[in-house]
Amino acid sequence: MKTYKQPSTVGRFGDFGGMYVSETLMPLLLNLDKSYKKIQKDKKFKKELNDLFKNYVGRPSSLHYAKNLSKYINGPKVYFKRDELNHTGAHKINNCLGQILLAKKMGKTRIIAETGAGQHGVATATVCALFSLPCYIYMGSKDIERQKPNVFRMKLLGATIIPVESGSKSLKDAMNEALRDWIKNVRDTFYIIGSTAGPHPYPKMVRDFQSVIGKEAREQILKVEKKLPDYLIACVGGGSNAMGLFYPFLNDKKVKIIGVEAAGRGAKTEETAATMTSGTPGILHGSYSYVLQDSDGQIKEAHSISAGLDYPGVGPEHSYLKDIKRVKYFGITDKEALEAFQTCSKLEGIIPALEPSHALAYLIKAFKNKHKNKVVILNLCGRGDKDLFTAAKAIGFDADE
Amino acid sequence: MNSLDTLPKKKILSLFMTCGFPTLNHSKKIFNEMLSHQPDIIEFGLPFSDPMADGPIIQEANKLALRSKLSTQQSLDLIKYLSKYKNNTSFVIMCYLNTVRKFGLNKFIKNIKNFVDGIIIVDLPFEEEGAIKKSLSKNNIHLIKLISPMTDKKRSQKLLKNSKGFIYYISATGITGSNKLDYKEINRNVKSIKKMSSVPVLVGFGIKSKKDVIDISKKTNADGVIIGSALIQKYFDLKMDFNRYLKSLKKFIKEVKV
Repeated sequence: MKTYKQPSTVGRFGDFGGMYVSETLMPLLLNLDKSYKKIQKDKKFKKELNDLFKNYVGRPSSLHYAKNLSKYINGPKVYFKRDELNHTGAHKINNCLGQILLAKKMGKTRIIAETGAGQHGVATATVCALFSLPCYIYMGSKDIERQKPNVFRMKLLGATIIPVESGSKSLKDAMNEALRDWIKNVRDTFYIIGSTAGPHPYPKMVRDFQSVIGKEAREQILKVEKKLPDYLIACVGGGSNAMGLFYPFLNDKKVKIIGVEAAGRGAKTEETAATMTSGTPGILHGSYSYVLQDSDGQIKEAHSISAGLDYPGVGPEHSYLKDIKRVKYFGITDKEALEAFQTCSKLEGIIPALEPSHALAYLIKAFKNKHKNKVVILNLCGRGDKDLFTAAKAIGFDADE
Repeated sequence: MNSLDTLPKKKILSLFMTCGFPTLNHSKKIFNEMLSHQPDIIEFGLPFSDPMADGPIIQEANKLALRSKLSTQQSLDLIKYLSKYKNNTSFVIMCYLNTVRKFGLNKFIKNIKNFVDGIIIVDLPFEEEGAIKKSLSKNNIHLIKLISPMTDKKRSQKLLKNSKGFIYYISATGITGSNKLDYKEINRNVKSIKKMSSVPVLVGFGIKSKKDVIDISKKTNADGVIIGSALIQKYFDLKMDFNRYLKSLKKFIKEVKV
């Protein structure tokens, strides 16, 4: 069995990935890559990060046996990797802490980030507050509207939010603007990318920082079940929570791995965010990966009820894992996700974010009355507080009644 | 023959304009106007949905062109049509890699061969250029190199080895059409580039007026300038009145052709 050793030194996952940016950014990325390689061997850095994980984030996150949901599905034993219990309510903080420590080491004095659902924005604003660095968050005006609680959180944390009015006014455009800011402020600014997307070394770096999820889950499941899980399931937008869970299991060929994308109103409609189901390989935000595009290579607007999955691209490593068939990817519609959102809340007393609700929906749909005696770990990567207004509106619940 | 190889020694003028802006028909008129002034180079921007290295003005031009459903083929046909009036002006395409990739590199080259002299692929760094550069060079199309203030000497040396056509020096660390010009820095970097390469160095990004053009030529060692955003800006300044825009464009180009 070949050991998994991606990416290559130039940031290639097979053909995917790479560095497709203008010459203004190239020297910065090469420098970032160098600095990242250096700190990987730095014991002090590791210790500092682990201390923060433990005492600031509250890691390890628990592995919860979702008994009621398992009974309802009447199939496998379902475990939730509860990264929604992290400080700031999602997995995003894992990566932000890693990157801000790196930014500090590199002597950068200004932080920028893009955000969709606002979870990465909140996590970035949080670590900036902790390390007393000025923080600028680019957020599509459409997302500002649908993620108001997170907008207020970021403001409380001292961040400046810059509304993005271009394009579809969501995550893709926020990332364009953040990249433009970086090109303009190359000397003092560190760009904390929130997903396993973007040019090398980001996809690798973000995956590495997030892989604490999978490392913990592996230990935890071995302890309670005395064996590896049969399945891993996680939602995929850019793909950072999924890569975090999947990566430490990639060499365990018996573990079947499933990524769930947001199919919006249906993977075959124009209103979808299911990049790997409906897209083709192309270049967006500095890397070669599956992307939603037309026959001329113009990037299409994505659609999903979940702002965190509303992205027409996907991390290059997912594209690679799809092509080598190590991971299977499926789409779940807005409607299916909303149903699972409610089912999980009622059955387990956990209100999930709309993002992992997609993973939950797939689990319920595909495993119902099947795969008995199997063990599943599902990454519950975010909590649903931020989505209450969106969900209430979609379900037709009037809070004033 | 590649007309970029016989550029004048000094005061080279390169004008950038987005294809299909604001519509295909109007675009033809704009380029005809530009051509009538016989600038040394015209850069044809191919519209892209996500032009991450461009500022708000060129973004808007891209958006307008794409709104009228302009295809890559139509842009390339426009350039081919205009090449009849090319005379001594060199034609250069400026675009993002996804446009070329999706169109197909070989098909792309077939469509521009013999009348396009150079191509600038904004998001194709030296590290990724391999096969593309080879195919272009086989067809006598120069892959134009960009050098930024962030590019250090060692990297510049690597990039500029065998450079052809001209070198696009990004005068400000910024996106197109933004930031102030730092003549001292420009001069220092241009000088250092000229030690490594014998092809002309043009300064682009942030050149907005006749004064900027004169200052670049007086205060720096650069061989010429590239003007882009400033040409497009006027359209929005004039509240998208196309006839007035065309007149002001004529006046502006006359001014900067010093």
